[in-house]
Amino acid sequence: MDEILTGWLLDVYREETSLTLWLLDDDGQRRRLTHPFPAAFYAAGPANQLRALWRWLSEQEIQVHLSRMERKDVFQGIVTVLAVEVVHAPQLDALFRRAVETYPDLTYYDGDISISLRYAARFGVFPLARCQVVVNAERVKTITALNTPWELEPAPVPLRILSIEPDRDPAQACPRHLVIRYDRIRYILPLEPARAFLISLRSTLERYDPDLILTDWGDTWLLPCLLKLSKEYNLPLPLNRAETQGVIEHQARTYFSYGQIVYKGSQVQLRGRMHIDRRNAMMWSDYGLEGVLEMARVTALPIQDAARLSPGTGISSMQFVTALRANILIPWHKHQAEQPKTALELIHTDMGGLVYQPTIGLHKDIGGIDFVSMYPGIMVRFNISPEVPRSKAGDLTPATGEPGKVPSMGIVPQTLAPLLEKRIAFKTALGNLHPKDCRREVYKARASAEKWLLVTCFGYLGYKNARFGAIESHEAVTAYGREALLRAKEAAEDLDFSILHMYVDGLWVQKPGCSTPEDFQALLAEVSERTSLPIALDGIYRWVVFLPSRVDERIPVPNRYFGVFQDGSIKVRGIEARRHDTPPFIAETQMKILAILAKAADADRLPDFLPEARQYIGQRLDELAKGRVPLAELLVSQRLSRELTEYSSPSPAARAVWQMQAEGKQIHPGQQVRFLYTRGEPGVHAWDGTESTDISMVDSNRYKTLLMRAVGTIIRPIEQHFEIMPQHSNYVLFPNQKAGPVKELGGQMPLATFLDLRGRLVQLH
Amino acid sequence: MGRTLPTASMLIQQEEQSFARFRRALRRSDQVALDDLFAAARQHLAAAQYAAHALPFEVLLLAMLLEEHKEVMRLRQQLDELPDASRNG
Repeated sequence: MDEILTGWLLDVYREETSLTLWLLDDDGQRRRLTHPFPAAFYAAGPANQLRALWRWLSEQEIQVHLSRMERKDVFQGIVTVLAVEVVHAPQLDALFRRAVETYPDLTYYDGDISISLRYAARFGVFPLARCQVVVNAERVKTITALNTPWELEPAPVPLRILSIEPDRDPAQACPRHLVIRYDRIRYILPLEPARAFLISLRSTLERYDPDLILTDWGDTWLLPCLLKLSKEYNLPLPLNRAETQGVIEHQARTYFSYGQIVYKGSQVQLRGRMHIDRRNAMMWSDYGLEGVLEMARVTALPIQDAARLSPGTGISSMQFVTALRANILIPWHKHQAEQPKTALELIHTDMGGLVYQPTIGLHKDIGGIDFVSMYPGIMVRFNISPEVPRSKAGDLTPATGEPGKVPSMGIVPQTLAPLLEKRIAFKTALGNLHPKDCRREVYKARASAEKWLLVTCFGYLGYKNARFGAIESHEAVTAYGREALLRAKEAAEDLDFSILHMYVDGLWVQKPGCSTPEDFQALLAEVSERTSLPIALDGIYRWVVFLPSRVDERIPVPNRYFGVFQDGSIKVRGIEARRHDTPPFIAETQMKILAILAKAADADRLPDFLPEARQYIGQRLDELAKGRVPLAELLVSQRLSRELTEYSSPSPAARAVWQMQAEGKQIHPGQQVRFLYTRGEPGVHAWDGTESTDISMVDSNRYKTLLMRAVGTIIRPIEQHFEIMPQHSNYVLFPNQKAGPVKELGGQMPLATFLDLRGRLVQLH
Repeated sequence: MGRTLPTASMLIQQEEQSFARFRRALRRSDQVALDDLFAAARQHLAAAQYAAHALPFEVLLLAMLLEEHKEVMRLRQQLDELPDASRNG
């Protein structure tokens, strides 16, 4: 008899011939259902070879339906393909692999799409979707999503979450107990004796029956360790809810992405439950569980994958689902090369966003205005997608908003539009929420997850191996971006604003008398009108300092600044506190100084707060000199960028790794190395996996230099502005230069403002 | 990440390096002035990039000239602000 269930879809994965899905129904039952469904791949090529493939397929044991049809290839247009519909989707992978081996010269499509994405595309469901399911004997007959991933506030899912964390970092020392938490219960479970430990953990798993196991170092240490113990003592642990499959383990690997070496630790995924390792989850510190769940919802990737996804996987998955739904072929191997260009065309198109040099020094009442998600916005607004024809770079007519003869939205904007809309909705909602509203954190996390997808999308457009990437589209996006920024500049100048800095999608503008959000409204409207892109006021700074290059004080560098908004919040970019390798002690000192200065109601009062800042600096120097700073606060954390043998002169990080290797500990490129600067040779002390060191070994002079440099970044420009003699001689950053004070002239609107060759601010009246 | 074309900032550096022999043969005082000119050109990296000129040195020269002219404008203004007596005397 048919049964109608409503509930939340927790997870889907493949079994031998059908798909297993887990539904959390409204009665609180966790239901394991199976759903047989077909899936297809396609082949194109010479007719005789396709006929041979047809014959070969009909002789295989795996049940298929074969047909000839016309489908759209994004790069080739309409192509005739042999459609191979595999009756049981889980068998597609094996059949596809064998077909490719037997007929390697054909062009294949849709061959390597994961079953969960196929399922999502076919039935319109996604992780944590509210679903109505008609089942018969635990087999799904129909499944319908009752909501979409684009709802801002879906009904909360009553997930049972069990948190397990060891008492210490297993890389440093062997943990002695685990901290177990669920609902309002928290207890400590000693790891020894192992048998008692296993029995206790098993009873917790059975009693609480969690949906999600949240761990620290679960992928790399805890779960592998539990599996080993359970085998050793012959005590099965119900880590999986389903007994039909084992736990899924993936090996660690190192890869190169976005100019950086990335290390991904091993992974352990569960069946029937989900496991997320906070230490191995992407962006956990940025958006947490809420962001991971949002990532899963919008990308349709299973939660355990969404938590660990690499940059680009999320956005590719979304494009795959769009393509599957729109019957657009997904090339298995892309053969699309860049179109030939002349040298001059290349010079004109191969550029990024416009990056200006800011006007160095302290400025008051600055409006920071930003285009909202500029690049994704451009892709959506101007329909930029590989299959959408574009005019030559020379005749680019941006901001007209006319997609020309293009009949419909391309696959890239089609995928992005709802995501962008949702992010803008969150941002708008955040602007209107009360600062203490409990929804703020959730909205922020979700908006942040979406931001990462949107950011990656632009990069993927220019990535030659991305299935829907085309460098011409990527270049078109930056071309529109440059045009939009220049139009914004012209609009600002027409309205008598002076421009202090411009950076790809943001402008810092100033006009005497403009200091409230209303004062900037006319400018925002004008920019929006001229570019047809949304632009918003990021905030009004009471004051902001743009910093010069570390190497040459005459040369301003982009995106290195700090400032305080009117609400007292601080924004910093490019300074020591933002760098990942800055020891916490130094980063904290720098931010605290800023917090002291942020108390000044306006820029003119800044000198009143310098004494307090100096007193604080003295106190921090004292702590350092007297060895009162905890060692963990002095840790430098750097990423090992290559194999040790590849270093010609070893960096401090490489020397720290040598020490760790001497202790028998392996570090791979892409992994973080934590160390202290110490006196004498080799000048560093590795933190993880070596014997601890005592405070007397710390090279306090080196830390003092680092501290004074970070302090100087903040204090010196302010002292210069007010022509105050420096109190701390140690923070002379540019020993070879004597730059004059940067002086701002008040009064009426100047005709022109610029820095002269000696770094003096000049205004012509 | 690989890049196909050098950025404006890389181009300035290349041009500056290509004049290393010229710079070496200058008097120390002239070297300082030359360095100032290159620093001046660096104020306009974004414009130089956007210009996408096939001959980057022409853009550099123009950027240097621009800064020089600003200096002239500034000096002229200072001169205009001087009392007439001191100007003649």
